[in-house]
Amino acid sequence: MNAEQKQQYKEKYANAKQHGVKFWPDIIYKDLLISFAIFILLVGLATFLGVASEPKADPSDSSYIPRPEWYFLFLFKFLAIYGQIPWLGKIEWLAATVVPAVGVLALFLVPFIDRSPFRHFSKRGAALAFMTVLVVTMVGLTLIANVPTTELSALQFISGLVLPALGMAAALLIPLFIKKDTNRALAWMTGVTSALILGLAVAVLVLSPPAAAAEEAQVAATLPEQILAGQDLYSVHCVECHGAEGEGGEIKGVEGLEGVILDPINARDVMYTFTDETLYNIIAYGQPDLGMTPFGLAYGGTLGPGEMENMVTFMRYTWDDRAELPAEVTAASAMPTLAESETPSYEVHIQPIIKRYCISCHREGKTNNNYIMDTYENVINGGDNAPNLIAGDLTCNTIRMLNREDLGDIGSAMPPTKALKAELVDVWVRWVLAGMPETAEDAAAAPSIAP
Amino acid sequence: MSTWQKLLNWFDERLGLTTIYSTVLDRKVPKVNWWFTLGSASMILFLLQGVTGVMLTVYYVPSPDHAYDSINYIMNEVAFGWLIRGIHHWGASLMVLVVFAHMLRTFYFGAFKYPRELTWITGVFLLLCTVGMGFTGYLLPWNQRAFWATTVGTSIAGAVPFVGEFINEVLRGGTDLSALTLARFFSVHIWWLPAAIIALIGVHMYMIIRLGISSVPTKED
Repeated sequence: MNAEQKQQYKEKYANAKQHGVKFWPDIIYKDLLISFAIFILLVGLATFLGVASEPKADPSDSSYIPRPEWYFLFLFKFLAIYGQIPWLGKIEWLAATVVPAVGVLALFLVPFIDRSPFRHFSKRGAALAFMTVLVVTMVGLTLIANVPTTELSALQFISGLVLPALGMAAALLIPLFIKKDTNRALAWMTGVTSALILGLAVAVLVLSPPAAAAEEAQVAATLPEQILAGQDLYSVHCVECHGAEGEGGEIKGVEGLEGVILDPINARDVMYTFTDETLYNIIAYGQPDLGMTPFGLAYGGTLGPGEMENMVTFMRYTWDDRAELPAEVTAASAMPTLAESETPSYEVHIQPIIKRYCISCHREGKTNNNYIMDTYENVINGGDNAPNLIAGDLTCNTIRMLNREDLGDIGSAMPPTKALKAELVDVWVRWVLAGMPETAEDAAAAPSIAP
Repeated sequence: MSTWQKLLNWFDERLGLTTIYSTVLDRKVPKVNWWFTLGSASMILFLLQGVTGVMLTVYYVPSPDHAYDSINYIMNEVAFGWLIRGIHHWGASLMVLVVFAHMLRTFYFGAFKYPRELTWITGVFLLLCTVGMGFTGYLLPWNQRAFWATTVGTSIAGAVPFVGEFINEVLRGGTDLSALTLARFFSVHIWWLPAAIIALIGVHMYMIIRLGISSVPTKED
């Protein structure tokens, strides 16, 4: 701008001010209104959507697929698509550093790049078209950010790279070559390019929806939730050696540890002398020299830090007599009771018992004659010696083994180290006699069995 | 003179309240539309983030051992902790959105032109600081999402030729993400960047008051 244009602008601006409003209250009033709306919006979002809980960071779990905050998605997608360019795509630093650096530098220099003295839309067609294509591209890239770049890669390439490049080039070239109706040409170009970019992005989304985000793992947040989550993990991973109550004893049926005698881990000696950190480390690292395999992901196991912390919390609150188990946990982890005249069902009564006492061995990858107790069907008809349960037959395998009978090859007394409490065995007996109903409704319809 | 007036005078003589009123509040500005509220909306969001952020630091512990649990505690045990964290969480996203929209408004209305070039440049710095706040704040909950997104985010810096590895190590405080990374992200998130933002907003506002807010361009502009 030369001195004359500057003077002109100052006069125009003074005039606009003359015909304008007072900062206070006219402008402030609008600002306050918007501020208030923003506050209400945020309180609403915090109340009704909240903040999704995520599992604790686990540096050893490299299988986790990173997702950046949404406003960085366009950049990530750009990097991914850029990598598809033959030859050039291999030079990673070009896209990762040079392009963003040039972008930021250009943003700083906007006042010195767009130097025309004109401000009205009709006289800034090229600049507005360029920026519009750029912003639409960012929106388009964000839209398809969660679609793997390998799917419909041609469409993604066109929508995320080719069209934007053409559009931005056109925004700069059109004013040079089309002298008549320049704005109309620019507007058409911008409209068509934007529609194509967004159209293709939506098409990619529709044709190849991003893999539904792996089911949001329920994260145990409160203490009772953590204890119960820890108990479930303990039931699966620890019971086979340490017993359902941490009582230890002679290990039976565990490969490589047959006959080893374990001290109880629920004893006061252990609880008073092992800190949470010690317990955690024992679970994570195991005690390989004593035969305990590592459970932590970092040492080749399968459990993340959050899971192992929950297990420690469970042990501490259940076995340490200085800690008080929350009443909610006692209620939630108690075995379902069975009234005198009630008929037990798989879902309400049997499944919780299996989950606590059996699943540690009767799952994939353990010595169990292929008897996997994961579903109703498998519990009744699974395994090498199926059927282990026969409706109305108290001489079937499972009932005999629960009654401490050793059936040789079929299996020893179950559970191997410690008998189920009599009332729990009674639940099994009454369930078999009632015809092994699956759901509570089935059980209600079944004939009542006198105990 | 009433007592009230006397009191006001006493303060005015010392603080210059009437001067502030006449230069900042009681001035004429061009008549503008609702798009011009985006700037003040950005500032309100910054203030909200500041207030909720300060509240969060009461319970938040920036160490890998306790960060996750302390946020759990804020969300479940502290009275209205969920609300404060919720506002901070959503406010962060909204702030990025509003600051970006504010930039677009400035661009489309040609408001960055003479004599407001420097206002624009401080604005770009503010946009970068806002994004930086988003990036550093994202790691603080120390959950899987935060950890791995930051791992990838910082590793991008590693692609810079020659100095990439050095930048990467400065960002992480070592070769891998660790307690040091969390500590320095926390420091940058609650001291460095907010201090920079406050200073930049000061300069930004000074220029806006000195030069006046831009007008909506007319056909002649």
